[in-house]
Amino acid sequence: MFLTRNTQPVTRKYMIKLVDIHKSFGQQKVLDGLNLDIEDGKTTVIIGGSGGGKSVLLKHIIGLLKPDSGQVFVDDIDIASLNDKGLNEVRKKFGMLFQEAALFDSMNVMGNVAFPLREHTRKKEKEIREIVRERLKAVGLLGVENKMPSELSGGMRKRVGLARAIAMHPQIVLFDEPTTGLDPVMTEAINELIVETQKNFDLTCVVISHDVQSIFTVGHKIAMLYKGRIIEYGTPEKIKMSSNPVLRQFLSGSLEGPISVI
Amino acid sequence: MNKIAATVDNFGRAILENIEEMGRILILFLSVLAWMARPPLKLRLIFKQMEFVGVKSIFVVVLTGTFTGMVMALQGYYGFRMFNAESLVGSTVALGMTRELGPVLTALMVTARAGSAMAAELGTMRVTEQIDALYVMAANPVKHLIVPRVIAGVIMLPALTIVSDFMGILGGYFVGVPVLGINSGAFINNINKLVDLGDIYNGLIKAAFFGLILSVVGCYKGFNTTGGAEGVGKATTEAVVLAAISILISDYFLTAIMF
Amino acid sequence: MFSISTEAKVGLFVLVALIILGYMSFRVGESGFGVKKGYQVNVVFDNAAGLERDASVQIAGVEVGRVEGISLKDGQALVTLRVLPSVRLEKDVEAKIKSYGILGDKYVDIVPGTEGEAYIVAGGDITRTERQADIDKLLSKLGYIAADVLEVTASLKKVVGSVEGEANLKAIIENTRSITENLDRIVTQNDEKLNLMIANLGEASTEMRKAFAALNSVVRKIDSGEGTIGQLVENKDAFDNLNQTLASLRDITDKINEGKGTIGKLINDEETVDNLNEGLKSIDKSMEGIEQYISKAEQFKTFLSYRGEYLFDSSEGKGYFDLTIRPNEDKFYLLGVVADPRGRRTVTDTTVGGTTTRTEKRERDELLFTAQIGKRFKDIALRGGIFESTGGVGIDYFAFDDSLQLTFEAFDFNSDKNAHLKAYAEYRFLKHIYLSAGWDDFISNEGRESPFVGFSIKFEDEDLKYLLGSVPIPN
Ligand SMILES: Nc1ncnc2c1ncn2[C@@H]1O[C@H](COP(=O)(O)OP(=O)(O)OP(=O)(O)O)[C@@H](O)[C@H]1O
Ligand SMILES: [Mg+2]
Repeated sequence: MFLTRNTQPVTRKYMIKLVDIHKSFGQQKVLDGLNLDIEDGKTTVIIGGSGGGKSVLLKHIIGLLKPDSGQVFVDDIDIASLNDKGLNEVRKKFGMLFQEAALFDSMNVMGNVAFPLREHTRKKEKEIREIVRERLKAVGLLGVENKMPSELSGGMRKRVGLARAIAMHPQIVLFDEPTTGLDPVMTEAINELIVETQKNFDLTCVVISHDVQSIFTVGHKIAMLYKGRIIEYGTPEKIKMSSNPVLRQFLSGSLEGPISVI
Repeated sequence: MNKIAATVDNFGRAILENIEEMGRILILFLSVLAWMARPPLKLRLIFKQMEFVGVKSIFVVVLTGTFTGMVMALQGYYGFRMFNAESLVGSTVALGMTRELGPVLTALMVTARAGSAMAAELGTMRVTEQIDALYVMAANPVKHLIVPRVIAGVIMLPALTIVSDFMGILGGYFVGVPVLGINSGAFINNINKLVDLGDIYNGLIKAAFFGLILSVVGCYKGFNTTGGAEGVGKATTEAVVLAAISILISDYFLTAIMF
Repeated sequence: MFSISTEAKVGLFVLVALIILGYMSFRVGESGFGVKKGYQVNVVFDNAAGLERDASVQIAGVEVGRVEGISLKDGQALVTLRVLPSVRLEKDVEAKIKSYGILGDKYVDIVPGTEGEAYIVAGGDITRTERQADIDKLLSKLGYIAADVLEVTASLKKVVGSVEGEANLKAIIENTRSITENLDRIVTQNDEKLNLMIANLGEASTEMRKAFAALNSVVRKIDSGEGTIGQLVENKDAFDNLNQTLASLRDITDKINEGKGTIGKLINDEETVDNLNEGLKSIDKSMEGIEQYISKAEQFKTFLSYRGEYLFDSSEGKGYFDLTIRPNEDKFYLLGVVADPRGRRTVTDTTVGGTTTRTEKRERDELLFTAQIGKRFKDIALRGGIFESTGGVGIDYFAFDDSLQLTFEAFDFNSDKNAHLKAYAEYRFLKHIYLSAGWDDFISNEGRESPFVGFSIKFEDEDLKYLLGSVPIPN
C-alpha cells in the first residue's frame, strides 16, 4: 500500500544520472570526467579509497557542490540549472546522512530527528513525537530523545543522523558511511535496517562504505571510484568476479597493488 | 621597483576585497530582509536569541553604563567647577549617555559578547556541515539561523541602551550629588531642561542600527567560515573587529544626520 | 526546579526597558510642563543671538512658557513665545533676552505691565523689548567708559588742582548764588501771571473733553460696522486702510491711556473716563475679530504627499499621491490617486449547464482613487470614504509630536474574499521624509498578503494656505 510510486509504469530506469563531472579544489582534481547512473528503487554502493572523492560525489548529487563541468540529473532535472527554490523542491525528495552526522548542536535528539517533519509537514506535535520514537527504535536508540548531540558517542550520533535521514521516508537516501564506527552487531543491524527500509518503501539508496561485508549485504549495484572516475560498476557477483587489479587490492585490503598508500 | 609594484598591487587587491566583502554583507542583509518578510517567523528561535543577546547582556551593560556615568560626572565636575557651573554635570552625563555612550558602549559590549558568539556558533555549524544539513533538508539557513539573530539584535540593542542610559545617569547622580556635593535639584532640573526626547529616541535609533550591524556582521563572518576550528577562531576575531569598526564609523554618520 | 521560560525572561526585560524609557521620556519631555495648551505671542528683537527654541520664558524668575520659534523678519528676529493660558500679559509688558550667569543659556524675561491694562490676545505682539547688552559689547563699552572717566578726572584734576582753577571754582559758586537770588525775585513779582497760566490750562482741558466725546461716537460707528469688516477685508486696499486706521486709532488711544494719570486728574469728570473706557473696549473687540480671522488662516493647512511602498512578496511597488486639506485642527479631507501594479481584481461567475466557471480579471496599471473624510481626536484620527477605489475605514494613531503614525485600514469588503486589511507604521525620519513598514492585505485569501517597506515625502503648501484661507469654512 505504500508502493504508490510503483503503480505508475516505470518509464525510466535511472533516478540519478551523473554525466562527465569534473571537479577540482584549487590545483587538486577530485572528480575527473565521472559518469554514473543510479538506478531507481535500488541500492547503489560506492566504494573507493579514503580521500578519493566519494563524499564530494555525494554532495554533487544533492546540489551542495556544483560541478566545474558536467551535469547532474535527478528525476530528469538538471539540478545545476535550478535556482534556490527549484533546488529546494528537488531536495525534498532526499534524505542524507553525513559522514560526521552533522547533527544540530543546539537541539536535542528529538529536535534533530523531528526537524524535517516540523519543517515540511503539518503533522501534529504528538504525531511527530510518535514518528521520531519509531525511527529511534529502528536505529536502536529509544530513550535518548532528550540528550544533546554532544552527550552522545560517535556511533550514536551516526545512528541519530540515520534516523533523521529516513524520518520523512524520502524517495532517495544518501548514506555517507552509515556503519563506520559501529560494533559488528550494530553494523549488521544497521545494514538490515537499510535493506528493510529500502525494500519496504521502494527507496533509491546511495551508500558509501568501506566495510566489505556491508557492501555485499546492502548493494544491488556497486561502483568503484578511483582517480576521479568510476572504474568498475556492476552487481555484487560481477564485482566479486572482477579481475580489475585496483578492485582486487581494495577488496582484499592488500598493500601490494596499484593503490599506493604511502 | 618590482617590490613597489607588488605592494601597490597588494594594496589595490585588499581594497577590492574589502569592497567585495561589503557588497556580500549587503547582499546577506537584503536576503535577511527578504526572509524576514516571509512568514512564518521562527518565534522560538527569535526568543532564544533575544534572551542570549538581550537578557544575558544586562549585567555587563548595567556595569559599563553605571561606571561610564560615574566617570563622566567626575570628569565633568573638574571642568565645570572652574566656571562655577557644577550643576551642568547632570545634563552633560545625561546628554553624553543618551546620545553617544549609551548606544555605542552597549553595542561594543554586545559585539564582544554576542556578535562573537554568533560568528563562532555559525562558524562551527559551517565546518561541521550542519549548515549543509540544513540545505539538504530544504531549510534555508538564512531563515533559520540569521533572521532570528538579526531580529534579536535590532530589538534588544535599543532595550539594552535604555538600561545603559538610565544606569549611566543614575551613576552620574550618585557621584555628583552625594559624593561631590552638587545640589540635587539643580542636577536634575538641568537634565530635564537640556535633554530632549529627541536625544533619547535618536540614541535608540542608533542602537537599533548597531544591533543590525553587529548581528549581520557576526552572522556573515560565521556563515562564511572555512578551515575547521582555526577558521572558526579567525572568523570570530574578524567579526568582532569588523563590527566594532563599522559601529564606530556608522556612529559618525548617524550623528551627522540626526543631531 | 522552578525556572522562568525564555519568553518570560525576554518579555520581562523588554517591559522593564519600556518602563524606564517611559519614565525618562516623562521626565525630560515637554509633557510635564503643559505649555502645549498655551497661547502664542510674538516679539521682535533686534538680535536674538544665543536664544534657542524651547528656551524658557519667565516672569520674575518663574517659568511661564517656552520659545516656540525664531525666524527672520525684516532684518530682525521674530520670536514666537508660547505662554501658559493661566498667565495673562498686559499690553505694555516688556520682553528682554537675559542669560543665566555670564555663560549660561539665554531665556526671555518678561517684565509685567501696568495693572488694569488690556491683555494681549493669542497671536498678539509684545511691543516693548529691551535687549540686554552682549557680554562683549558690555566689556568694550566698559573699556570706553573707563577711558572717559580717566580723561575727565584728569582734566578735573587740572582744573581744580591749580591755584587758578580754585579761583574759577569760587567764581562759579558765586554766580550760581546770584542767579538763584534773581529767580526768587522774579517768581514773587509775577505771581499773578502764573495764576493766569494755570487757568488757561483748565480751559484747554474742557476743550479736550469735547474732543473725546467726538472720538467716542466715531468708535461706536466702527463698532456697529464690525460685521462688515470681514467683507472689507477681502478688498486688499480696504483692508490696508482699515489696518492703518486701526493702528493710528490704537496709537491715539494708547497715548490717552498712558496719560490717564495726569489728564484724568485734570479732567476730574467720571463720565468722560467711562466713555473713554467704553471706546477702548470696543476697539479691542474689533481687533479680536481680526485676530480670529487671522488665526483661522493659520489653522488651515494643506499637505501634499507622495508615498512609495515596496511589497516584498510580489516584488512590486505601489505609489500613493495624496492631497490632504485640513480646514482646522481636528478635521481633514484626503484626496489622492494610487498606482497599484497588481491592479484591481474582478471576479465573475458564469454558470453553464450546472458547472460554474469563475473568471478572474485583473486590470493592471490602473489608477485607483482615494477620497476620504477624517476627524481627529487628540492622538487618534478616524477616516472613512474611498480607499483604493473601494469603500473603507481607517484609524491612525499619532505619537511623539506626530512623528510616529500607526495606521490600520480596512477596505474592499467583498463577499467572495476577505477584506483588504492593511497595517503600517510611519516614522518621520527627516523634516519632510518618512519611512514606513507594514503588512498589506494580511488576511488575504488570495495570497496577496505581503509585508512592505515604504518611504514618503510630505509638504505643507504654504502658498496654497493663504489662497484658500479666505474661502469661508463650514463649521
Ligand atoms: N570543501 C573542500 N575544499 C577543498 N578540498 C576539499 C573539499 N572537500 C573535499 N576536498 C578534498 O577532496 C578530496 C576528496 O574528499 P572526500 O571527502 O570526497 O573524500 P572521501 O572519498 O569521502 O574520503 P573518506 O572515505 O575518507 O571520507 C580530499 O582530498 C579533500 O581534501
Ligand atoms: Mg567521505
